[in-house]
Amino acid sequence: MTAVVEETAPGKGHGATAAERDHTLITITLRIRRFNPETDAEPYWQDFKVEADPTERILTAMMKIKAEQDGSLTFRRSCAHGICGSDAMRINGRNRLACKTLVKDLDMAKPITVEAIKGLKLEKDLVVDMDPFMQAYKDVMPFLITSGNEPTRERLQSPEDRERFDDTTKCILCAACTTSCPVFWSDGQYFGPAAIVNAHRFIFDSRDEGAEERLEILNEKEGVWRCRTTFNCTEACPRGIEVTKAIQEVKRALIFRRV
Amino acid sequence: MSEVERHSYDVVVIGAGGAGLRAAIEARTRGLRTAVVCKSLFGKAHTVMAEGGIAASMGNVNSQDSWKVHFRDTMRGGKFLNHWRMAELHAKEAPDRVWELESWGALFDRTADGRISQRNFGGHEYPRLAHVGDRTGLELIRTLQQQIVALQQQDEREFGDPEARLKVFQECTITRLLTVPDAGSDTGNRITGAFGYWRESGRFTVFDAPAVVLATGGIGKGFKVTSNSWEYTGDGQALALLAGAPLINMEFVQFHPTGMVWPPSVKGILVTESVRGDGGVLLNSEGKRFMFDYIPDVFKEKYAKSEAEGDRWYTDQENNKRPPELLPRDEVARAINSEVKAGRGSPHGGVFLTVVGRMAGGTEEIRRKLPSMYHQFKELADVDITAEAMEVGPTCHYVMGGIAVDPDTAATPGVLGLYAAGEVAGGMHGSNRLGGNSLSDLLVFGRRAGEHAARYAEALGEERREAAPEQIDAAAAEALAPFATESAENPYTVHQELQQTMNDLVGIIRREGEMAEALTRLEELKARAAKAGVEGHRQYNPGWHLALDLRNMLLVCECVARSALERQESRGGHTRDDFPAMSPQWRRVVLACSIADPDAEHLSVTLTRSEAVPMRADLLELFERDELKKYLTDAELPGEDG
Repeated sequence: MTAVVEETAPGKGHGATAAERDHTLITITLRIRRFNPETDAEPYWQDFKVEADPTERILTAMMKIKAEQDGSLTFRRSCAHGICGSDAMRINGRNRLACKTLVKDLDMAKPITVEAIKGLKLEKDLVVDMDPFMQAYKDVMPFLITSGNEPTRERLQSPEDRERFDDTTKCILCAACTTSCPVFWSDGQYFGPAAIVNAHRFIFDSRDEGAEERLEILNEKEGVWRCRTTFNCTEACPRGIEVTKAIQEVKRALIFRRV
Repeated sequence: MSEVERHSYDVVVIGAGGAGLRAAIEARTRGLRTAVVCKSLFGKAHTVMAEGGIAASMGNVNSQDSWKVHFRDTMRGGKFLNHWRMAELHAKEAPDRVWELESWGALFDRTADGRISQRNFGGHEYPRLAHVGDRTGLELIRTLQQQIVALQQQDEREFGDPEARLKVFQECTITRLLTVPDAGSDTGNRITGAFGYWRESGRFTVFDAPAVVLATGGIGKGFKVTSNSWEYTGDGQALALLAGAPLINMEFVQFHPTGMVWPPSVKGILVTESVRGDGGVLLNSEGKRFMFDYIPDVFKEKYAKSEAEGDRWYTDQENNKRPPELLPRDEVARAINSEVKAGRGSPHGGVFLTVVGRMAGGTEEIRRKLPSMYHQFKELADVDITAEAMEVGPTCHYVMGGIAVDPDTAATPGVLGLYAAGEVAGGMHGSNRLGGNSLSDLLVFGRRAGEHAARYAEALGEERREAAPEQIDAAAAEALAPFATESAENPYTVHQELQQTMNDLVGIIRREGEMAEALTRLEELKARAAKAGVEGHRQYNPGWHLALDLRNMLLVCECVARSALERQESRGGHTRDDFPAMSPQWRRVVLACSIADPDAEHLSVTLTRSEAVPMRADLLELFERDELKKYLTDAELPGEDG
C-alpha cells in the first residue's frame, strides 16, 4: 500500500469543498399531514415555517418544529442516520427516510409535503401501525433453517457464496418499499416487497435448507406473482437494495425450482 | 388503586438491543415465560448503529490470538480499572457467542477458506473483529430478532400461541421498578415487577415478575454532541438507582474520537473506527499526521515510531508495529482535542480524517470496505470520501460506568431479582472501552443475565411476592405530574440546557470549578424539570415522554458530575486538567452512586467509596511486571520472582 499525504494543506489537497458550500439559513415550509384520532375525523394539512440550513435533513427540521412550535407533532425516529429504519415518510410524494433527505435536494421554494407512508393504518400524524408489515416478514420464516448437527465453530461459507445474497441482507425493515407498492395499497394481503426481500436473503444463503418451504409460501395467491414490476420499491429503498431484481430472482427460482 | 392493565411473566427484560434480546432468548430457551419491553419498535435498537464488529479471539486471521491476549488488551484499554473477572469471562466466552450467532444465521465477511473474517481495531493486538462490512450491529440485531421469530413459531406449533413463552411489548416505556422489602438483599429490596406506559395510548401497564433484566443501554442524550440515539436517556441506570441498586464508575464516559462535525445537523454522528483500521489517517490543518506526537508512555513499546513503519503494518503485522491512529479511543480523542485547541484544527473545529490514496485498491476499495461511511458522507454532508478528507471530532459515545453487577451472574448486589447487562451495567470496560468489545459484551453478559434471571425465577417457584398497590399508585401519580403542572417549563428547553451544561462543564477535559458549577446548574435544572408541563392528551405525546425522561437524564448526569468531581486523577474516559496524571492509589478506588431516599420529592445522589477487588494471581501473571508497575501500587505488585 502506498501512503499518500498530499503536499498541500489537507483541506485543499483533498478538495474539501464541503466547507465552501453555502450554509445560509433559509425559511422553508413543511406542509405536514396531521391526524389525531381523539379529535380529528379526517387527517388535514398544517403548514409550519422553519429556519433551516439547506444541508439539514428533513428530520432535523421536524425536530425543531416539535421542540419550538408544536410538542404534539408525532413521528418515529431512532438512530437518525438511516440504519434503524424508523422514520420512513412520504416526502413530496415519495417514500424516503426523513433522516436521509436533505432540504437542498427538494424544491425549497415550495412547501415540502410530509405525510405518513400509505397502506398501513394511520395511528397519529406520521405514525402508522407496523404490525401487518411485520407479520408478513414473519410469515416468510426469516431465520436460518438447517438440518443435521450444529458445527462446533462456524459453518464455512465462501466469499462468493456470501456475496450472492449480500444485497438483500441490507434491509432495515423501514417499510418504504412495501408502502410504495401500488399492489400493496389495493391489497393489504399481499406479502409486499420487504417480506420477499427477507425471504430472498435466506433462499439464496448457501447455509440454508428452507428454500423449498419459503418458495412454496411465496407461490401462494398473495405471493410474488402479485408483483407487477413497477420498480417503485427499488426507487424507494433507502439502502439501495435492488428490490425488484430480488423479487424477479425469487420468481425465477419458482419457475425453475432451483436456487 | 386505579385499574391498570397487568401482565404476568417469569422474567421481564427491559430493552431490546443486543443484550436484552440475548437475555430474553436465554430465559425463553430455559423454558421460562419471558417478556421483552422496549421503547422503540422491535428491531430498531441502538445496537444497529455499531459498525466495526464483534471482538472475539477466534484466531481465524492470526492464530496467535487467544482469550489471554484479548483479556490483556481489554485491561490495558480500560487502564486496569476493569473488573478483571468480567474481562476474563468476556474474553473467554466471546468466540462461542460469535459462533452461536453464526449458527443462528448471521452473515459475516469470510476469509478465503470460508471462515469468519476478522479485522483490526484500536487497542486489539491481532485482527479480532468479526464483521459484516460496516453494518455488524444491524446484522447482530437482525439475527437475534430472527431467532426470536423462530422461537415464537416453535411455540405456535407447540402451544398454538406464538407468544406463549416469549412476547415483545414494543413502544412501551418503563418508569419505575416495583419492589417490596426483603431481608435477603443488601438494601432489603426484592423485585416484584415494573410499571410503565404505552407510548401509543398513554395508558399504564404493570408487569408482574420476580426477575427483571435491565438492558437499556447508555446515557448519551445527556450530552449535546453525541453519537447516541434518542433512546439513550439513562433509563435503566435511573430505574436501578430508584430501586436501590448502586451505579459504579460513572465518571468514565467515552468520547469517540471521530464524530462528524459538519454540517451542524449531523454533528456527533459516528465515523467508524474501521476507517482508521483500514488505513485512514488523521491530519491537522498543516497536513501533519499528528498522532505520532501523542503516544503515551504506557503504550510506547506497542506502536510504530514512524509513518513508514505504521504504513508497513497494514500489510506486514509480524514485523511492524501499528500506527498510533489505532491507539485506544480516549487517547485519540484527547489528541484531537489538543490539536484543535492549539489552533491546528479543521475549519469547523475538528481535524481531518482521510482515506484518499490510502488503499491499494483506490476508490473502488474504499467504497467496498466502507460502504456505509461512503454513503453517510455523500448523503449527509455532500462529501465524497474517495476524493476529499472528512472533518471529524470527539463525540459522546458510550458510558463505561453503570449498574454494579456480580461478574458471573449479572445480578445487582442491591436488589434481589434485578439483573443488568450491556452498556447499562458497569465494570467490564474499566475506564475506557475498546472498539468491538461492546457487541461481544452484549452477547456474553446478555446470555449470563438471562440465564441467572431464569434460574432465580425458577428457584422461587410459586413463592412470589405481589406488587404493592400503593407503589403502583405512586408511580402513576409521578407519571401524570407533567399534566398537572401550571407554571409550565418547556421540557425541550430544559433538555437542551442540560445537554449544553454537560458538554461544556463535564465533557472531555474536566476541571474542579467547572464541575462544581455543573452540579449547581443541575440542581436548578432539576427544580425546573419538576415544573416541566405538557399539553394535550396522553396518546402519543412526545412532549410528555420527554418530560418523564428528564428525571432519568438528570439523575445519571448528576452521577457523572459527582463522580468526576471526586476522582482526582486522569484515566481513560476521565481527564482532569487539574490532575493530569494516572494514580495507582486511585485505581483501587471504586466510586458508587446511590439515592439516599428514593421516595423523597427531591431526589439526590450520594457517593460512596469502596475498594476494587484485587486481580487473581494467575491473571496478573499474564502481564510483565514492568507493565504492572505503571498501574498498580507497590503493595499490589506480585513478588519479583512471582
